[in-house]
Amino acid sequence: MVISAETRAAIDAEIAKYPKRRGALLPALHLVQKQTGWISPETAQELAAIFEIHPIEVMEVVTFYNMFYDRPQGRHHVYVCTNLPCSLRGARDLLKEIEQHLGIESGETTPDGRITLGHEECLGACAWAPMLRIGAQYHENLDVETAKRLLDELK
Amino acid sequence: MKISVDGVEYEVAEGRTILQALDDVGVLMNGVDIPHYCWHPKLSIDGSCRLCQVEVEGVPKLQIACNTPVAEGMKIHTQSERVQSAREGVMELLLLNHPLDCPICDQAGECKLQDYAFEYGQQHARTQEPRRAAKKRVDLGPTIVFDQERCILCRRCVRFCREVPGTGELSVFSRGDRSVIETFPGQPLANDYSMNVADICPVGALTTKDFRFKIRVWFLEDVPGVCTGCANGCNVYLGVANNRVYRYVPRRNDAVNQTWLCDPGRLSYKRIGADDRIDHAALQNADGIPVAVPLEEAIAAAAERIRNVVATKGAGAVGLLVSPHATNEDLFVARRFLDAIGSTQAGFAVVRGRGDDLLIKEEKAPNASGARALGFEDAAGLLSRTRGGAVEALVVMGHDVLAAPYAESRDALERVDTLVLLDTHRSPLESIAHVVVPVRHAAEKEGTLTNFAGRVQRVQPAVEPPFEALSEGEALWQIAQALGLPGFDDPYDVRAVSKALAQSVPAFAGLDLDSVPPDGAPLAGAGD
Amino acid sequence: MQKAPFVTSYLTEHAGDDAFATLAGYRARGGWEAARKALTQMSPDDVVNLVKDAGLQGRGGAGFGTGMKWSFMPKAADKPKYLVCNADESEPGSFKDRLLLERAPHQMLEGIVIGAWATGASKTFVYVRGEYAQPADVLQRAIDECYAEGLLGSDVMGTGFAHDVVVTRGAGAYICGEETGLLESLEGKKGQPRKKPPFPAQYGAFGMPTTVNNVETFSHVPHIVKNGPAWFKGFGTEKSPGTTIFGVSGLVQRPGLYELPLGTRLDEIVFQHAGGPLPGRKVRGVIPGGMSMPILPVSQLDVPMANEFLRERKTMLGTGGVMVIDDSVCMVRVACVVTYFFRDESCGQCTQCREGTGWLHKIVQRIERGAGSREDIDILLDVCGKMEGQTICAFADAAAWPVQGLLRHFREDFEAHVEHGKCPFPQSFEL
Repeated sequence: MVISAETRAAIDAEIAKYPKRRGALLPALHLVQKQTGWISPETAQELAAIFEIHPIEVMEVVTFYNMFYDRPQGRHHVYVCTNLPCSLRGARDLLKEIEQHLGIESGETTPDGRITLGHEECLGACAWAPMLRIGAQYHENLDVETAKRLLDELK
Repeated sequence: MKISVDGVEYEVAEGRTILQALDDVGVLMNGVDIPHYCWHPKLSIDGSCRLCQVEVEGVPKLQIACNTPVAEGMKIHTQSERVQSAREGVMELLLLNHPLDCPICDQAGECKLQDYAFEYGQQHARTQEPRRAAKKRVDLGPTIVFDQERCILCRRCVRFCREVPGTGELSVFSRGDRSVIETFPGQPLANDYSMNVADICPVGALTTKDFRFKIRVWFLEDVPGVCTGCANGCNVYLGVANNRVYRYVPRRNDAVNQTWLCDPGRLSYKRIGADDRIDHAALQNADGIPVAVPLEEAIAAAAERIRNVVATKGAGAVGLLVSPHATNEDLFVARRFLDAIGSTQAGFAVVRGRGDDLLIKEEKAPNASGARALGFEDAAGLLSRTRGGAVEALVVMGHDVLAAPYAESRDALERVDTLVLLDTHRSPLESIAHVVVPVRHAAEKEGTLTNFAGRVQRVQPAVEPPFEALSEGEALWQIAQALGLPGFDDPYDVRAVSKALAQSVPAFAGLDLDSVPPDGAPLAGAGD
Repeated sequence: MQKAPFVTSYLTEHAGDDAFATLAGYRARGGWEAARKALTQMSPDDVVNLVKDAGLQGRGGAGFGTGMKWSFMPKAADKPKYLVCNADESEPGSFKDRLLLERAPHQMLEGIVIGAWATGASKTFVYVRGEYAQPADVLQRAIDECYAEGLLGSDVMGTGFAHDVVVTRGAGAYICGEETGLLESLEGKKGQPRKKPPFPAQYGAFGMPTTVNNVETFSHVPHIVKNGPAWFKGFGTEKSPGTTIFGVSGLVQRPGLYELPLGTRLDEIVFQHAGGPLPGRKVRGVIPGGMSMPILPVSQLDVPMANEFLRERKTMLGTGGVMVIDDSVCMVRVACVVTYFFRDESCGQCTQCREGTGWLHKIVQRIERGAGSREDIDILLDVCGKMEGQTICAFADAAAWPVQGLLRHFREDFEAHVEHGKCPFPQSFEL
């Protein structure tokens, strides 16, 4: 079993909120990823059993959404918004600096498994560009040095 | 309610969409051309290919005919300039990333993309970028190969697996122009109906391993027929070339098989040209070894042996074990043979197997219902009487009697004085039969079959066996002639037999060969 | 994020106060009184009519009449009815709902309870975009407070009316902001918009009658109930009453949020409120309503920000996300960013959208590289025409409009690229 008893209990609590079981699939995927980092085929099968659907229906959902992962990820997700408002204010230069700093390209994970770097579409921080998010945490009005320091602090 | 399409009025049912309504009245793509990819009459509505857009008077935007409900007095235009231009738009976008490999694509000739591109496409591609490269020859499972590059994402296959067999092996992963059909790791496309996805795939993305690259489809003649794999009697087209059947594809019959065919049934075409066909008549020699003889000799020998049994044991010692693979006409001849000779010893054996709620029936023969309708009972009684010594000459059609429920039958068959075997395929029965007569497969003769629900459907010769063979009916007819039985004076004529059947057996009234419609008709009293 | 808009009005006047996000703080400012009034003194029809009279238009982008939308909900109580609050704010250039969720969650919840009373809904699902994890937490805390104080649950304010609110987080897909894409996602599926009919008011979330409204839309409702339609119409234009929160981003002195009456002129927003261009730069063009809306050149910014005026200039208010582009920026590069976005976010169902968004992006990239031709520019417009108005949802339109807008007003940038084989704006941001 991949899904822990604790995660399973949290999933069941989510299921209770919806008129149909499957309504809790997205919340469940968030919960499971919090525990495991990504959705493996084995995890998908466990979720499929919980939600009484085919495993492939779990995977089609996983592959549709940006925030679900069908392969292992770094310990931290770092996303730079590169949509227009951020691009107008230097986001792409920031992303290049970060790529150099980490020695990886957007979409890759550092060899030590510490950071998966990506660029993302608009994150709703347009007036405070450039910005990045580390997991759930937004960091706005960034300059390159601050951004590098934030990344260096990640364990 | 009434709708008008391109100025022609149609009476259609309420609650249907435009495409459904036109399909109901039989004019879709048969008078009213509304090209479509994602819509399929037997699947849920998807509404995504956008090719079926039509103009509805009073509605500013074009509407998709697949999902727009009909309304009283609705006026629809399917060929206006706006509609044509929308179709061209869809076609150009669909062809944008589609490989231009028709010459090496096995779908060529039955490809809806090719057809519609010809009709609505532009002469020259305006794209300069390389087309999307994707996986070729993906093994989806035991029966199907997938070409991602050719896929136009109509999702018919995805909906089929979810909605028909309910197995749901296929899905679209990812999104946008990265969307791709996938299976789950370790769960290949493997269900009893998997090969239907190749039929409904409008392009060459899904092809069956069985038919792939066997022959170009334009060389095939599609002969309507019936699958003989079980009692369901699914309607098929037999794809024929060079006197060979290359495949079965489903022939739509909403009363029988919708638009589907099960995989075992579909592959049962292989039985027609199989290596184990009985391809010559044989007589058992003094050492008990079958020796090939001309067909006439086998018929004469069968008659001679039966005559002897009648002479020594009486007519009541002659029995007929008929086959549910034989046609109604064959079985009617068998019935008349018994009546003429004056015996009541009869029965039929049928192999049983796994069935489901969809198409697959437990009885693995196409005409057990016909046998019942003609008064034949299960073989158990006949076999027990044979074992008890009441039957000394037994004409056996087929070898279903070797199957499990009749397992103890063999000693009964071994003890008779005369065993005449009329069969299509080789079996251990040959070694105990005194006379063997090769017979025709349902794809090699005229006749009708009665499916599990009592629907009488026609078969016709799609190929000619490459050896001398008779239908079971004709074989019995010739034996009857040799015996001099009354009522068998004329040369065998299946049409005459069929007419006599329709006239003398009330259940078959009006169901002679030439009166059975292409989609069959129920036995009188069978309902529909 | 700023705590409150630089200019505030009724929606955001207390947003700067941290306590406003708590039940106590919200009540101290008169919060939840409008809901009490609606549930105790007004019939559901009264509420619907009041909102109709006020002329409140949805603030999620389409601008459909809120009262009208509520009136589409079936009256019969034979099956559960649902409200959905669309908090999937993902339109590039839009960030107002984030502020309302984080700084004024009770205001929105109060609007939801009033809407639920008006439509007979037993449950509201607030669908928050996946990246807004923190706003979702703030909202959940506010909901918990409401349950504890009897403002939600089986007996709202002792009236016997029952209502539950559930927060569902998305997972990163722009299309889930489309109302039926949202419903699919809410049901645990891919967020692919549904074909219509049926419409959500008949067959919505989990197959039940459903109305979907945006965060800001709900947030206006308590004020309308409290102050009446005449008061509400005192803001904005005759056809577009009320305020909205404009999000100004891009190359201006003071990017940020501004709550202003609808009908405020775009040049006033850009040059006065947001302080105009950066030193030494000039404004070239402004996208007035989030990325889906066609751009306006600097010569056309003298337009009141309300749909009846913006339509005349072939653009729309959208979500009020004002993106300012200055004279350092090449519009071909803007087109690259725009077409990349729509290609990335297309759900992939409809042919024109799936294939068209990809093709637009490829052609624009080719022009950007200097490898395009004049014919390519025409093909761009032709492809836009093939995408527009022909798909299940409006995403394909939203992908076509900005390209059409850029070519309508800045065709010279594209022509310079194809003629000289390079970008005429050396200072433009790099891709």
